[in-house]
Amino acid sequence: MTITKATLDAFIDDHLNEQDSVRVEKAVRESQELNTLLKSIIASREMGDHSIGAIWRREHLSCPTREELSSYKEEALDPQRIDYIKFHLETVGCNACKANLSDLNCTKGSLNNADAIEKHRQFLENSKILLPKKQ
Amino acid sequence: MVSLDENMLVKKIQEGDQLAWSDLVLRYEGRLTNYAQSKIKDHASCQDLVQESFLGFLAKINNFDASRSIQSYLFGILSNKITDLLRSLGRLRTVETPVDSSGNHKSSPFVDPAMGASTWYRGDEKKKLENDALIKCLGLLINQFVQRKDYLKLKSIELLFVNGLSNLEAANILGIDNKTVASHRHYANNFIIDNLKKMNLSPSVFPHLSEQDQD
Repeated sequence: MTITKATLDAFIDDHLNEQDSVRVEKAVRESQELNTLLKSIIASREMGDHSIGAIWRREHLSCPTREELSSYKEEALDPQRIDYIKFHLETVGCNACKANLSDLNCTKGSLNNADAIEKHRQFLENSKILLPKKQ
Repeated sequence: MVSLDENMLVKKIQEGDQLAWSDLVLRYEGRLTNYAQSKIKDHASCQDLVQESFLGFLAKINNFDASRSIQSYLFGILSNKITDLLRSLGRLRTVETPVDSSGNHKSSPFVDPAMGASTWYRGDEKKKLENDALIKCLGLLINQFVQRKDYLKLKSIELLFVNGLSNLEAANILGIDNKTVASHRHYANNFIIDNLKKMNLSPSVFPHLSEQDQD
């Protein structure tokens, strides 16, 4: 794996898979040059420089919609689109889309035990006081 | 693309509608929890982070930019919270920068000497303008690939820009020639530069556009 500036960019956004992430982290720890580059990318971002990869990842620009993911699950899309979504999920490794697909596949919902349900109920109750006041 | 439904939901929450708030939480809770669990294995911590993300969203609801997708916004807040948690566990990707007594990040001491002077005087408004322009250009590019069913180019560009792979690595994954990937990169860069110029923005403020893979 070649570690480029764009690779470090993806690393900062935690977009790399676990294996590559560990590999990059190890390389950065061992290489002063990579360490300096990583720090300069972070500094550059803080100063407001734009990274195409960071914007693409943050805005989920190529992510299929939730409806498309649902159709993908049912294989009810154009074969080329199905192939692309499979690539986006498995090769690009989009965590947001994986989370969405997993949610669509889950029949029990995310609240799968009594504690979680109670915590959810309490959260809704407590957070309501933060809602803007009705006019 | 933001659906009218989403805009209505935000509008109702801004008006203090409790049912709309419950609807939003129920709608996004599952996917956010799954996302958190892909990074952190402890379910209770994940639920806490997701709930904190909702609170972060609610705290800024009156300033929410209606052109943004709620999902991307929520994933963004959650991702930052996960990063903070991982930072506390010593993950390197979150190299810390000095913080002043008010908790604000000071200017980083790791400034690249080669950083363009333009970076130093651009105000927040200008940066937002540039950011929005780049989002628009990338959206146009992706849409063009999708409309033309040119998925090979889209895959190629995604591997280069999003996953940060080199031309050669992307070519190996896609089973195509290295030069073909280079031509895809060239096409995408030119497309973005042309569209930025149409928006009267200088491509020089986007340093990544001038970077070419040499392999």
